[in-house]
Amino acid sequence: MEQITGRALILAASAIGAGLAMIAGIGPGIGQGFAAGKGAEGVGRQPEAQADIIRTMLLGAAVAETTGIYALVIALVLLFANPLINLL
Amino acid sequence: MGETVEIQVKIIKIHLVLLLLLCVIALVFFNRPMTWIYGYVFGGLIGVLNFVQLAKTMEKAVTLPMAKAQGYAASRYFIRYTITGVVLIVSLKADYIHALATVIGLVLIKFIILVTHLFDDKEYYKRIFKRKEEN
Repeated sequence: MEQITGRALILAASAIGAGLAMIAGIGPGIGQGFAAGKGAEGVGRQPEAQADIIRTMLLGAAVAETTGIYALVIALVLLFANPLINLL
Repeated sequence: MGETVEIQVKIIKIHLVLLLLLCVIALVFFNRPMTWIYGYVFGGLIGVLNFVQLAKTMEKAVTLPMAKAQGYAASRYFIRYTITGVVLIVSLKADYIHALATVIGLVLIKFIILVTHLFDDKEYYKRIFKRKEEN
């Protein structure tokens, strides 16, 4: 059997790590969808508060996206600019 | 834009000023400043566009029925996420764009929101250490 090189091992582990990191990108999507649904429900119940609801939801959703971007950065760095390869 | 136009304009103005400041800092202090400036501009502008798109999504989502609003908001989020991914891949692959500057440009608008709408209130800090029973 051919021996596994350190580089191959790092690349394989990085690919798995990138896949795991991308799981974090799903959370904000679910959260934003949930918030939008509740916002729609709130506007339906109290239409005069629409502006306040949208404003609060916008700021919350924008901040919630940050963690998804961090996860994306980690995953893409592991795939396209892996710093661990240079350590070999 | 609609109901959120004022808040959007306010946040985008602060964002552009900070981007300009970061570009000046890059020009003065960093080696190869153009790579940093390209990164700030690229990431920053995409960050602004994502924010405007998010505002439009939220404005439309509240007019839909609850189940449709969930799917609509989530699907739009994944479109924005894909755009962010493409931007990051381009900045990682291109030598003339600094990837870290792009990331800073992308998340800068979120920090501005935190600073201008959450950490500006002294009551917020007091509430952190307040027990629920004391309210």
